[in-house]
Amino acid sequence: MKKQSMWSLRLSTASLVLIPVAVGVNYIGKLLAGLLKLPLWLDSIGTVLAAMLGGPIVGALAGAINNIIYGLTADPISFVYAITSVAIGLVTGILFYRGYISSWGKALGAGIIIGLVATVVSTPLNIGFWGGQTGNVWGDALFAAVLANTDSTWLASLLDEVVVDVPDKLLVVLISYGIFMGLPKNIVQLYNQNDKVETLD
Amino acid sequence: MKSISLYVNRNSFVHDVDPITKLIYIAFAILVPIIVPSFTISFICVGISLVLLAFAKVLRKTVPVFSFVFLVLITVVIIQGLFKPENETVLFQLGPITMYQEGLLFALTITLRVLTIVSAFMILVLTTKPSELVESLVRKGMSPSIGYMIVSVFQIIPEMMAAVSTITDAQRARGMETEGSFFVRFKAFLPLMGPVVLGALINTKERAMALEVRGFNSQVQKTYLYEEKTYAYSRLIRALLLLAIAGALVWRILS
Repeated sequence: MKKQSMWSLRLSTASLVLIPVAVGVNYIGKLLAGLLKLPLWLDSIGTVLAAMLGGPIVGALAGAINNIIYGLTADPISFVYAITSVAIGLVTGILFYRGYISSWGKALGAGIIIGLVATVVSTPLNIGFWGGQTGNVWGDALFAAVLANTDSTWLASLLDEVVVDVPDKLLVVLISYGIFMGLPKNIVQLYNQNDKVETLD
Repeated sequence: MKSISLYVNRNSFVHDVDPITKLIYIAFAILVPIIVPSFTISFICVGISLVLLAFAKVLRKTVPVFSFVFLVLITVVIIQGLFKPENETVLFQLGPITMYQEGLLFALTITLRVLTIVSAFMILVLTTKPSELVESLVRKGMSPSIGYMIVSVFQIIPEMMAAVSTITDAQRARGMETEGSFFVRFKAFLPLMGPVVLGALINTKERAMALEVRGFNSQVQKTYLYEEKTYAYSRLIRALLLLAIAGALVWRILS
């Protein structure tokens, strides 16, 4: 069977209902991380899962809608970080469809790549809107330390984002991969956009 | 079930204004301080937003959002005041701590930028029902599929939260520990997250079928459940806001 291009823009009804669930999963991840007082965000599990199931376009849409919802319900600055979420969805989808997230070892590597992409996209936004900080206590302490010892806001901001984002995205990708492996096959098949229908007559 | 939307139902003229006009107001409140970079203009924009929030009787509801934002802004003021690389002019000293003028001015710029954005968005978020906002955007040409996705999130999240509390109780009954070292707490994350996500994804199948049998994918022109609400002065307000943005641009180019 020919695999449909991962860039197919036609959204099936299945992908359509997947995206709100992905946003919900992100929300619950953030909520649980807060309840358990984990020093991580863990708020992109849904985006990563959506990208694995539905491809880069679905992942990117899930990321964008995620931040629109955050903007409307918690913190209006989130609208701006939609760009980061879209990048996470796109990169995860591409990596997954090229077969780079097909074992635990590969998922580890993919997590680091996704974390670095998120860092590179977020840093200019952090500098523009927060003067370079991320709002995470540990990252911001490092930001202050680097800023005190060097003269570069960019370096400080980049390091601030790296120490927070890379471990976070690494765990997110590993958790999502674990969940993906545990999904019943008929659910995974639902999103497999091979349109070919075989009949007996 | 608890709604996650911040919308507050009150009776005020701010609530009556249509969502599109509020979106234009947000554009106005964010663009004008960028086009005309002066502290006075930024203060005026924050002021207008706060006055409108007060008229909408939702000022008290903004406190949680603003306090969250202020928490981060306080660290911005401290870090920039102490360590900004361009710091030269000493403003004051507190024992071994020296605050610098350049850093504090920069922190004030950041604070004002964040406040203008947050206060302008608060007007939209607190006085507009998400479904009304989405509906008016769909009327303006946004795809109904995107509209469905946004609106359904507001239904799905409370459902998932209910599932989370059921699962938390179940796992606690089985002896799961939710307090202790980082490793113990992280270990608790997986048995909580796993079942919620699996359950939600399995439910998508039914939801997809339910939409299919109701003809969600049909190409026929969609109709609306509610009649479009119009506000008498929205054209005038929109025109004034756009005029103000244009005026700021002209001022910037001429000076």
